[in-house]
Amino acid sequence: MSLLRVNGVGHDFGATRALHDVSLQLAAGSIHALIGENGAGKSTLVKTLSGALRPDTGTLTLHDEPFAPAEPSQARDAGVATVYQELSLAPHLTVAQSLFLGREPTRFGWLDTTTIQTEATTALSRLQRTDIPLDARILNLSIADRQIVEIARALHGQASVLVLDEPTSSLTGEDASRLFDVLRRMRDEGLAILYISHFLEAIVDLTDQYTVLRDGEVTGGGATAETNATELATMMVGRPLLQRTKRTSTVRDTPDPAAPQDDILLHVDHLHGSPLPIDATIELHRGEILGIGGLVGSGRSELVRAIFGLDPVTSGTVRIPDVSGPTTPTACLDAGLGLLSEDRATEGLALNLSVADNTVMSRWPTRRRGWLDLLGRDRAAERWIDELGIRTPSPESTVGSLSGGNQQKVALARLLHHDVDVLLLDEPTRGIDIASKETIYACIEGLADQGKAILVTSSHLPELLSLCDRIAIMDRGQLGPFRPAADRDEHEMILEATLGDRSPAP
Amino acid sequence: MKLPSRNVLAPLLGLLGVYALFALLGPDSFSSARNLETMARQTTIVGIAAIGMTLVIISGGIDLSAGSIIALSTVVVAATMNAGASPLVSAIAGMGAGAAAGLLNGLIITRLRVVPFIVTLGTLLIVRGLAKGIADEQKIDAPLSWLIDLLAALSPSMRWMIVPPGVWLLLLLAVGVAAMLRSTPVGRHIVATGSSEATARLCGIRVERLKTGVYVASGAAAGVAGVMQFSRLTVGDPTVAVGLELDVIAAVVIGGGSLSGGEGSILGTLVGALIMTVIRSGCSQMGLPNWVQEIVTGGIIVAAVALDRWRHR
Amino acid sequence: MRRLWLLALSCLLLSCGESPDSGRTTIVVIPKGTTHEFWKSIHAGARRAATDLDVDIIWKGPLKEDDREAQIAVVENFISRGVSGIVLAPLDDAALRVPVLNATRSGIPVIIIDSGLQSDDYISFVATDNHQGGRMAGQEMARRLEGRGRIVMLRYQEGSASTMKREQGFLDAIAESPDIVVVSDNQHGGATTESAYAASENLLAPLQTQDGTLTIDGIFCPNESTTFGMLRALQDRQLNGQVRFIGFDSSEKLVEGLTAGDLDALVLQNPMAMGDIGVRTMVAHLQGKPVERRIDTGVVLVTRDNMNESTVAELLRPPIDD
Repeated sequence: MSLLRVNGVGHDFGATRALHDVSLQLAAGSIHALIGENGAGKSTLVKTLSGALRPDTGTLTLHDEPFAPAEPSQARDAGVATVYQELSLAPHLTVAQSLFLGREPTRFGWLDTTTIQTEATTALSRLQRTDIPLDARILNLSIADRQIVEIARALHGQASVLVLDEPTSSLTGEDASRLFDVLRRMRDEGLAILYISHFLEAIVDLTDQYTVLRDGEVTGGGATAETNATELATMMVGRPLLQRTKRTSTVRDTPDPAAPQDDILLHVDHLHGSPLPIDATIELHRGEILGIGGLVGSGRSELVRAIFGLDPVTSGTVRIPDVSGPTTPTACLDAGLGLLSEDRATEGLALNLSVADNTVMSRWPTRRRGWLDLLGRDRAAERWIDELGIRTPSPESTVGSLSGGNQQKVALARLLHHDVDVLLLDEPTRGIDIASKETIYACIEGLADQGKAILVTSSHLPELLSLCDRIAIMDRGQLGPFRPAADRDEHEMILEATLGDRSPAP
Repeated sequence: MKLPSRNVLAPLLGLLGVYALFALLGPDSFSSARNLETMARQTTIVGIAAIGMTLVIISGGIDLSAGSIIALSTVVVAATMNAGASPLVSAIAGMGAGAAAGLLNGLIITRLRVVPFIVTLGTLLIVRGLAKGIADEQKIDAPLSWLIDLLAALSPSMRWMIVPPGVWLLLLLAVGVAAMLRSTPVGRHIVATGSSEATARLCGIRVERLKTGVYVASGAAAGVAGVMQFSRLTVGDPTVAVGLELDVIAAVVIGGGSLSGGEGSILGTLVGALIMTVIRSGCSQMGLPNWVQEIVTGGIIVAAVALDRWRHR
Repeated sequence: MRRLWLLALSCLLLSCGESPDSGRTTIVVIPKGTTHEFWKSIHAGARRAATDLDVDIIWKGPLKEDDREAQIAVVENFISRGVSGIVLAPLDDAALRVPVLNATRSGIPVIIIDSGLQSDDYISFVATDNHQGGRMAGQEMARRLEGRGRIVMLRYQEGSASTMKREQGFLDAIAESPDIVVVSDNQHGGATTESAYAASENLLAPLQTQDGTLTIDGIFCPNESTTFGMLRALQDRQLNGQVRFIGFDSSEKLVEGLTAGDLDALVLQNPMAMGDIGVRTMVAHLQGKPVERRIDTGVVLVTRDNMNESTVAELLRPPIDD
């Protein structure tokens, strides 16, 4: 019996098709997995269910009644409770206060503390987590406990459908398995649960039904018992590989152990961060492009940030010629190591400043006695606008007015202007158009040919396959071995990223 | 009823410490009953305005117009009394003028979505100008009435009240608002909004309406503080309380309020206001010059906030 | 560590504090402000009397002359502290009524100096006859203009009784010369030199012709801050000397202006005497002697001609240094 039906739902963001003709049915007393790669449309579907977004086409029904929530509180009142990926709790409230926020029981206008206490205890005992103190403030709880509070809040009242968006992405193994126990118990109580995740092993382990989304469309579904992780991975990837020809490497696919050690421009040795990465070792050679793949939250960004000295390092060393040990951004830049941030808007660029200012920000041309050389700045900016084909009205235009792809080119131009030898590129092509991607690929390859060393991270595996010499996969903080791109394929890498399943290196 | 939470404990200890220091070092008159009454009276204006400010700061906002609203209120009280209104009606008019200014703040902040700092920086000037305009750039004399007794030293026949009616009003307001904050849904919603506005919205709280209400309450509190100010001055003075909003904000911050919202308590705020009065009174009675008072008060504000940060780490 | 800090703080407080000897007579003198030269002269006079009579005085006032609330707080604090007597220059004739009443109720006698108070709760009122001072300025203006011309008066501040009387005295004297036209008498200079300066500029702007000359013949300002603000405004526009300019009170800069001829005359009160007589009267009252209800401390008109006479020179440059 289906509790919640999604019938042919479609939604467009401008020209981008986020969802197209998606249908699925949630049955009472079952856990339904929704899987798909980044950008497959999972989050859009969650937003439709939770009332944050109205679908352009299609309908929803709940208990065979039309269900069209206009805002999140309406969906919640109707019994569809959503726990988001980013937890939404007010940090200063206590556990009990959080559970009842927005629907506090009152007596004569005053809070009914007796009811609050007993019902809060009931809500937590339903999840068998009465060990969480009711008067503890949220900000003093662990992530896992906050998640329990979120779920308890979501379930409190008459929720019949529970939607969980990536609940385990920030949980350790033990906390995740405790969460699974809770979810199974909820299922046995007759709840319909929609469980969104990347982690295929968990899906196979936990869920009863599954639906696969790819590029906004349903590409598969059925009973989880009749499939396995490999098959799910195939359904997720499914598309023909990118039509780019593989790069003809100028270096050896496997570094020659006899190569002189001064060939290594970046040496990362057993680097630990807090909490990520865990024990990462990298040797990056002159003229080489290394790729690091993995899921969102696997620790790729944390790794490059730790290398660059932006995130704290607990142990291990980073060695670049002239610098070794814990690094700082200033020392890295001085030594010729540059980072392209994955977060263009808040970290990578100063959006209010001009293209020219952003280009020279790390290395301002100066004249004698420390005066800025404004002409030099403009010359530098014009050079890179020309070389990278940055589409901007003028070097004086603010970066914020440019398209995402052109913004990213400006960020890259800064590294080129600084003339670094080692480039750490964190998600260099996220959210930008195809043409800009091609420019950036070509630029990266050109840099490698000039003898620079490049480390690229991406959640888009085909991109790494076509661009890199060697690729490693990161999974929950651990960096796997680098293996030649020629020996890898997307399917095998998906499995490694989602299962932590590492076959021994050939 | 539980003991005051740790957040209030620190300022409370600070208050006792400062008081003990002056009681030890200062003249005997410092710890006399008469001086305690004087300090209570001197805390009342800042205290009442700070109760409203506490709500605003807990909700994640700020109200820089409080000082100007106090001045507007004194002017409105004097003007309405001169127009023949009874003292009670005049007092209500003063409070109403404050509430109206608060409503203006709230509407601009929620409708035009301008940050509270900028909005209230603007209304600080607007309201001050309005007060001067109504008063024709002069002080307004008003007939003597029982309003004067709200905050005047008690005459011998009224000794049974222990402290003047204005101080009782402050305590009454404090208890009422503290109970509201602690034990009503609205109170919870204010804390939730300041702690995480997105969450509050997600939980079906009408954040815009709530915020507007908070600014109205803050304006009304400043209006009542203005009535108290009038009681002290006996005239409507459009130039009074310049910069007083900073004292009010300091009281909230010393009392454990966080300018990023979600934290603060009425008890803490009153303690914060008292700490500043004690320093002022103590320094004055010891014959210390103004600049020493200012340095000590400033040091305490910074120390209180630094201590808070350090404890939260 | 914490103990060390407390120790250091206590030392600081102790070293700054002047703890009064409880057996001695302590009189607090509360001026309207502490920054103007005028108040420093009062302070000097009060100190002279205190030394002569062997009593202690405390000098404490608000920093700004329009901060009613601050002056009320100062009075209250000294009532709590319990001094022998209060000598007060009220900066508002109404707002200080209640604190003065409280002081009297608490058995602390109050003597009002400089400006009046709408109350009867004081022992004596020691002040300049301000109306007479204003008249003196008005008569001098009429004499210098030979009975005809256009003049302006920049008022000080609404609610300040002393200056309002000077302003009225000036206007009364001017009224006796029907050919003198008062072009403006409704502008206020406000409490600080800065506000007086701005008000002067605003007042002068429309009175200036294209070629830079003024369309008026005389200016009167009723106190030091307005006189100085106006003097600065005139000097900035190189209008000094073009008009007959009469001010009130003195300071270093005003004396310079008088010497240079930018100012024609100053009406001087005797602030030293005000401070001196205020304290002496208080001591007399405390000793049970009868005192006069109203004591006039007199005014003197100073021009370039008489400014070097010894009695006048002491008023112009009061010995206020410690």
